[in-house]
Amino acid sequence: MLKVENLVTKFGSVIALDGVSLSAQASKITTVIGANGAGKSTLLRTISGLEHPAQGIITWQGESIIAKRPEDIVRMGIAHVPEGHAVISELSVEENIAMGSLFRRRKFKSDVQVALDEAYQLFPRLLERRKQLAGTLSGGERQMLAISRALVSRPQLLLLDEPSLGLAPLVVEQIIDSVNILCRTTGLTVLLVEQNANTALGVADHGVLLSLGKVVADRPAAELKADAALRAAYLGY
Amino acid sequence: MDTFLSAIFSGTSRGAIFALVALGLVLVWRGAGIVNFAQMGQAMFTTYIASTLIANGNSYWIGFVVALVSGAALGSILDVLVMRPLSNKKKTELLSSDSMRAAIPVIASLGILGVLQALAGIIWAAEERGFPAPAKQEGFTVAGNVMPFTAFDVFVITCVAITLILTSLFFKRTGMGLAMRATALNQEVAKLSGIRTNRTRTLSWAISGAASSLAGLLLTPSSNLSPNTLDLALFIGFTAAVVGGLDSPVGAVLGGFILGMVISFVTFYDTPEDVFLAILAVLLLSLIIRPHGILGSKDVRRV
Repeated sequence: MLKVENLVTKFGSVIALDGVSLSAQASKITTVIGANGAGKSTLLRTISGLEHPAQGIITWQGESIIAKRPEDIVRMGIAHVPEGHAVISELSVEENIAMGSLFRRRKFKSDVQVALDEAYQLFPRLLERRKQLAGTLSGGERQMLAISRALVSRPQLLLLDEPSLGLAPLVVEQIIDSVNILCRTTGLTVLLVEQNANTALGVADHGVLLSLGKVVADRPAAELKADAALRAAYLGY
Repeated sequence: MDTFLSAIFSGTSRGAIFALVALGLVLVWRGAGIVNFAQMGQAMFTTYIASTLIANGNSYWIGFVVALVSGAALGSILDVLVMRPLSNKKKTELLSSDSMRAAIPVIASLGILGVLQALAGIIWAAEERGFPAPAKQEGFTVAGNVMPFTAFDVFVITCVAITLILTSLFFKRTGMGLAMRATALNQEVAKLSGIRTNRTRTLSWAISGAASSLAGLLLTPSSNLSPNTLDLALFIGFTAAVVGGLDSPVGAVLGGFILGMVISFVTFYDTPEDVFLAILAVLLLSLIIRPHGILGSKDVRRV
């Protein structure tokens, strides 16, 4: 389980996270929703070690991960898929996926190939295109690639930042479905950041609503989805 | 015709060495985002180490290997002791502008160059000394005619070819090579993939250090060894890297050969005094016509 308490992250004088507390239950999908600039991405970036918080506590399976480097946080089982289909365009599909398992090659040699095969099984389209440069893929394929890259590190917690960004509804559905299946069948814990609240709440177990760096609601997803007043106030529909 | 052939041969042999110098610069630029002006200072230093070993009765090959290994070691040490602390975000937060922050390591590399040259002067005295070649520097004789190609040229081209093939295999076929390419292309994604980018950066410095040490060993037999011998080589190598594209290893090699040919043809058809002018002209032309280099990507030039 991931636990975040009173987290504050600043960029110069701008306070992006202003005392955020939340938790992600094991083998469940927790979604963090909110408008642009609410601090959703900063939250994930602080958890994965890309940003350093000014104060607060982050514990993962009982251990503090504050002040750890991203490279070490991945090794503890937390994989982050950052915003904007983060793949390396100049590398091939195969290389992009392999990259995520490089650090496991010595210790878990036999498992590395299994993890790669599983990624291709989850997204067969990537297998067809494995020799292509990642830059030549469509947006949806790139997102699948970014998720695969994260999955081959064999995470127990997946931090997923706006997978729906810039994608057609059908593709979004396909990707969200895959993540949902993964969570339900393998027990993966997911922390999903989304601006597309309806899609996210539809699949999540728990929902956290963020506004201007503060948590304004933290409830079961179904309850949050049903709260029309809250939606109108913070999400604008 | 003879002059033409001589110019081609000499250009190939020199070009190969400049390709090596340019490759060293490109590796550190890609791996760490720094133009390392200390590079040939490092090479000068390790060539002195080799020279001392050989002068004390060791074989050329012991000096050769020790120079390459100490080149790699010196590169790594500079990264760990100087460059890594400088790029440490918290300490440089005082300097708010990005361009200033990018300039710091470059200025540091100039400082390192000064320190290495001064140290070499103190340890080995500043006068010039010769440096041996492992093969004859007289042209091959074919049917009574002396050819413009020497056994040393063959040695140079073989060394450079082996280095280029090995580095290219390393980058394409090994996990560490993939990790280094990933770090060069997108540090954030590399880190999130679990790649220890500090280590891959140090490795760039090590490989670059070894490659430039090799360049030093291959350059000094035809000139002499002094603390400033290799300054011109850095300038030529830098021009070669700019011509080829600062972020492209293949471009660096191409640029090296282009510069080798330009220098050779100016030497044979004009006078050696004009070489410096010719290099400047190539640098200027390249910056005007194709600022990102022949094979470089467009948004690379920051320094």
